[in-house]
Formats: sequence, structure tokens, C-alpha cells
Amino acid sequence: MPTPVKMPRLGESVAEGTIGSWLKKEGDWVERDESLAEIITDKINAELPSPVEGRLVKILVQADETVAVGTDIALIEAEVGGDVTSAPETAPAFGEREEVPEADKRTPVAAGPSNVATGRGNGAAASTLPRRREEERQRISPLARRLAREHDLDLNAIPGTGAGGRVRKEDILAYIAQREAAPVAAPTAPAARPSLPEAPALAPTPLVPYVPGEDEEMLTPSRMRLAIAEHMVRSKRTSPHATAIVEVDMTNIAKWLEKNKEEFKRRNGYSISYVPFVIKAVCEGIRQFPLLNSTWTPDNKIVIKKRINMGLAVATDEGLVVPTIYDADQYTLAGLSKQIASLAQKARTKKLTLQDMQNSTFVVNNTGTFGTIISVPIINQPHAGILSMNAVVKRPVVIEDDAIAVRSMMYLCLSFDHRILDGAGSGGFLKVVREKLESYEREIDVY
Amino acid sequence: MTAITYLDAISQAIREEMRRDEAVFLLGEDVGTYGGAFKVSAGFLEEFGPERVIDTPMSEAAIIGSAVGAALMGMRPIAEMQYIDFITCGFDQIINMASKMYWRVGMPVPMVIRGPSGGGTKGGPFHSASPEAWFFHTPGVKVVVPSTTYDAKGLLKASIRDNNPVLFLEHKLLYRHPELRAELPEEDYIVPLGKAVIRREGEDMTMLTYGAMVYQCLMAAKVLEEEDDLEAEVVDLRSLTPLDRETIMESVKHTNKVLIVHEDTLTGGIGAELAAILAEELFEYLDGPITRVAAPDTPFPYAPPLEAAFLPNAEKILSAARKLAAY
Repeated sequence: MPTPVKMPRLGESVAEGTIGSWLKKEGDWVERDESLAEIITDKINAELPSPVEGRLVKILVQADETVAVGTDIALIEAEVGGDVTSAPETAPAFGEREEVPEADKRTPVAAGPSNVATGRGNGAAASTLPRRREEERQRISPLARRLAREHDLDLNAIPGTGAGGRVRKEDILAYIAQREAAPVAAPTAPAARPSLPEAPALAPTPLVPYVPGEDEEMLTPSRMRLAIAEHMVRSKRTSPHATAIVEVDMTNIAKWLEKNKEEFKRRNGYSISYVPFVIKAVCEGIRQFPLLNSTWTPDNKIVIKKRINMGLAVATDEGLVVPTIYDADQYTLAGLSKQIASLAQKARTKKLTLQDMQNSTFVVNNTGTFGTIISVPIINQPHAGILSMNAVVKRPVVIEDDAIAVRSMMYLCLSFDHRILDGAGSGGFLKVVREKLESYEREIDVY
Repeated sequence: MTAITYLDAISQAIREEMRRDEAVFLLGEDVGTYGGAFKVSAGFLEEFGPERVIDTPMSEAAIIGSAVGAALMGMRPIAEMQYIDFITCGFDQIINMASKMYWRVGMPVPMVIRGPSGGGTKGGPFHSASPEAWFFHTPGVKVVVPSTTYDAKGLLKASIRDNNPVLFLEHKLLYRHPELRAELPEEDYIVPLGKAVIRREGEDMTMLTYGAMVYQCLMAAKVLEEEDDLEAEVVDLRSLTPLDRETIMESVKHTNKVLIVHEDTLTGGIGAELAAILAEELFEYLDGPITRVAAPDTPFPYAPPLEAAFLPNAEKILSAARKLAAY
């Protein structure tokens, strides 16, 4: 009774993965949670822990092959005792569908006690038969399963919106409604392959491949680049973006950093920058305007996230990654600095884990490091907003009593999902963020 | 016509039935001279005399046992438990006599055992019981749990006229609740046993409940509507035995999600049986796990903060409902 090992979902928008290398050979014994293989995806590389203890009897997907999330990639046989080498042969071939002959043997109810014992043994064997394909989808409500059967739907093609991606009633009904609408657009292919709202949003593949001219050079984008491209297009298509910008007087923070930065790093081993101050202020803003920490669901609900998990955009050589600071509102400025340093280090050395890459609820992006003074970010789906912070530059500013002073100024640009909130909400949020940043005095307690 | 309380409705029902039928009589501790611990039978002794309003010794076994005997002889006794908690002293008379007699000798036992049940009054472990599950489990006993003033009267009259032993569980928190005051019809009416009622219609989930929990469910449903855009259907079972399977099934077929709420403790409670029925008969109509909100499996606590933590309430219902909706 081999246990199939499936390609894991390493990140929310990741649909497929590549086997980097197998760390075990066929026939090897593996402990539960021992690393089986290295998996490469658009976003991260990770080692795949074995779901069970047993013998790796079959590798189904070889190194460098790419398969969809959920595909069986190997089989592990738990040892049932007896001859180890014969285990693969005695196991029923995976995917093989048999009628259950044991059931027939069990039919004579009048059989004596010894036959009852045999029947029980056969029952156990029968339960090890592979599950039917339509049941591959694990998370599905009984009602959804019945509806899918009645409408002859492939459950694996239906995206689930319940907890943990479970397919439930509304998913099936939405799918049917969509399928009924689809033939209008493509009457020649009725309901064969209905396009899903979650389908990759890249432009349709051109039929004729582009041939570069002599003065052009063609690059094949990396998997990460492709994933970013898909995400950006999808985000723009999903959320009507609106952007609001405020100007923040960062003079006190700038002066404090100038004076204490070196000492802070010497003492703690990691740096402090403007970023933790902005994250802290954003958390304050979210506390007062929780809609910024929400998501618009495919079935047109707004879900407010109670935890503030701050995504932090980090540039790497391959492109942008957005690891998560969980419960960012719980940290001091120094604590945030430590988290930022740790995630940035992991991102640049490709050590980010699956956990690091999931569950963010809002993103702060510091394009100011590249010297920008205004930047309009694109929302990281499925968030409600994203804030980009820009370079802190000295400008002549009119202050109290109409005097002109040199102050350290910064623009904060908020792109938000206009389905979820309007200018009043976003403006209110930015006001809180600005006031929080401007509230610091000359002396700042960062611990 | 004046608006009367749930308690008045119970009193009226007994009085009217005693006037209507000479076989109906009342017995229990302090029901006569004192007019009942909660004053349900105030003035009864003067109107009906000591032969039909009987002050008994302090023995529930004697009260219920006498009622069983009288019922077998053609009377229709109403036995009052001062607090329903003490019904356990008469347990044998209910389980081994009242419920089995018709099946043993073919003689009906038309009697009602009624009394105040439920918690929330800081009554501690001996004055807060919800004992329905013991009797729900027993074939041959009907169990009725009214939640409104109209139902209290109509269901009690139907119970008195029923030819089976009926356990009639009043909730003491509802007795004088001002919001339950209602104007009742002048004319004689009953509410038939075995018929549930939908207190609030909705399509996102069904709340199956009874007794005082009906109001906690309605409060939670209101918040779900206002804050979550969810419409919960609240079904008040009213009779636990016989159970209105038809109304339950129809509602669940419509909403596909079920939240069962009762004040009694969780294990082996009414919710367990409802869940089993639904899992057996409507499995493929369920879009989420059958969920129960009930008191934890401990004796009823006395300390007010513990009592508050122990009892199910709108907040607990809300949180379970949200989890179920998101499933």
C-alpha cells in the first residue's frame, strides 16, 4: 500500500514545481520528515520532507521535470514486515482499477466463524485499493461532491474558496454559472475547457513565435520573471488600482538615524533604517483602518485579516520576492529591524522557507533605496493595498509661522483596491501613517 | 386584553384545562397553600379545592409515582417539580413505570411532569439543570420545551390532553422576562406536539435550537446579517420527542449547513442525536461539518463568572457560525 508523495504547493500563486534533484534513490529507506527531494519553484527552492516513514519504491517524476502542484511524484511503501525486496511487486499497481473480488467472497453470510475472520482480512485489503480519480481532490464538502457528480464536473478543475481551499457549494454553482455563460463566447467548444477566473493572465500565446531581428536580442525569462509577469498582469486585471500620495516630514527620524545608526549596528549586529519606522506606522494605520488589511474574495465578500502580516519587498538578483513578517504590529522598532535583516539575508541567499513566503496581508516596498521620489506600486494579490516609500531628501519646506526651513522629506505612495475602499479611507489611513512618523521627537526609544 | 408573561401563560393553561376537564389535577410541593414556588398555581386552591390541588410531602418519587397511579386510573395529573433538578429522585417512576406501562399492559398514562429548568440565574449545581437528554433517550416519554409565551400555553394544553407521559420543561429565565410578554388569543387553542417552527428564515445555515437558546441564536443571527452578510435560519424545535424531522430536513436541505445549539452539556445531548440523523439522512446535502454549541461537560458551576463561561451564548454561537460559514 504505497503512499503517493505529491508535488507541494510552495506559495499561494505557485501552480507547478520542478524536481531539482532527488536526495534519495529508489529502494532507500526514509524516515518521516526526512528530505526526499529538492523542489524548485518560481518563488523558492525547498527540500521536500517525506510525509511518511517507509521505503521509496518508485520515483515517478525525474530530476529537472516540471509538474503541476498535486501531481504524484513518488511512492513510499510502509514496511509491512516480511521480505522487503518483494514489497513493490505485491503492492497493487497504482492507478489500477479493480472490481473488488473480495466482496464476492464475503457475500455468503452464513459462513462459519473461520470465514468471518478471512472476510475481515479481505476487508482490510480492499480498503487499500487506490482511490478513484474523482476523489483526488481532498478538500470538498459532501454537498459539493454530489453536485459535481450530478453535473458531471471534474472536481480538480474547480477552484475552492472554502477554508484551506475547500470546494463548497458556491464554488460549484459559480463554476456551473460560468460554464453556462462560456459557450456564448466559444460555441464550437461547449464547456470543454471553461476558462477560470484564476487562469494565468498572460497575454494569449502568439501562434507565430517572435523572431528577433539582427539588432535585437531575445531573452528567455527565468521562471521567477515569468511568475512576476503573470502576477503583475493578474493584479492589474483583478483590482482597480487607485493611488494616493502623502508627503512626510522625516527630519527627526533622519537625525536620530544619523546619530545612532552606527552604535545600533555595533550593539545589535544588524542595521536600522527608515523601513521599520514606516512598517510600525503602517500597522498603526491598519489598526485604525482595518480595510487596508483585507481581501476581496472571488465571491464578492470582503475578508478582514485580524493579523497584520507585513510583506516586505526585497530585491534579489533574479527579481523581487516578498517575504512575510508575521504579526508585524507586535514588534518594537528594534525587533522589526532584526526581522527585516533576517528576511533580507535569507532572500539573498535563497534560504526563504515556504512559511516565509506565505500569509502576508499588506506590503511595504522601499523603492527609495534606488533613489525614487515617487513610485506607484502594483498590489500584491490578494491584498487590499501596497505602500511604497521613497527616498528621504532635503527640501525647503514652509513650516509654522510661514518660515522656510530645510527638512528631510519623503513621499509615501499607497496603491489600493478601489473595490474595497475609496479616497476617504485611503486618505485617512495615510494621515495616520504620516502623523505617526511625524510624532517622533529627537530622542527615540527603539527597544 | 393584556399582555401576559410566559409564567402567566403556564398558569392559564393549567387553570383552563382544570376547568375544562375534571380529571385534570395538580400535585407537588407547595402548589396549594403557597401557590407554587414560582406562583404558577396562586389562587388554585381557592378555586379548585384541596382534592384537585394537592400539597405533597417532599418526595419526587411519591409525587410522580402517585401521578402514574392516578393516570392509570383515568385521571390526568400534572406533577410539578419545584426545580426540575429534583426530577432525578423520581427517575425510576418515569423510566420504569410511566414510560413502559402502555407497552406492558396496554393502559395509557396521560400525565404531565412540569417544572422550571435551565440556568443563568446563579442557581448553582442543583437549581439550573437541563435534563432533557435523559428523557429524550427514553422511549415512551414525550419531551416538550416551549420558548415563547404563546407556545407555553398552547404546548402545555396539548401536553395535558396527550395520552402519553409528557415532560414539560419550562425555562425559568423566561418566566417573567418582560420581552416575552404577549397578548394571547381569548379562545381555546393548542400548539400541536411534534411541530417545530422557523423563527427566522435564512439560506446560509440552519440553527437548530430550543428553549431559551432560541433567543441567543436570534441575536447571533442578527449580527451575522449585519456584519457578515449571512442569513441564518433559526429553527425552534419546541418538541424534542416527537421530533419534527420534516421541518429540520427541509431547512437543512435548503441551507446545507447546520449549527445545533443547546444549553445542556455536549456529550450525548440532543445535538448528538440530531447530528447523527442528519449525517445518516442528509450527508450529501451537507456543505460543512455539523457543528454543535453546547455547555462543556462539567457539572453546572455556581460562581457567576464560571456560570457565564459555562453557558452557551450569542457570542459563542457567532464564532461557531462564522467558522462554519467559512468552511
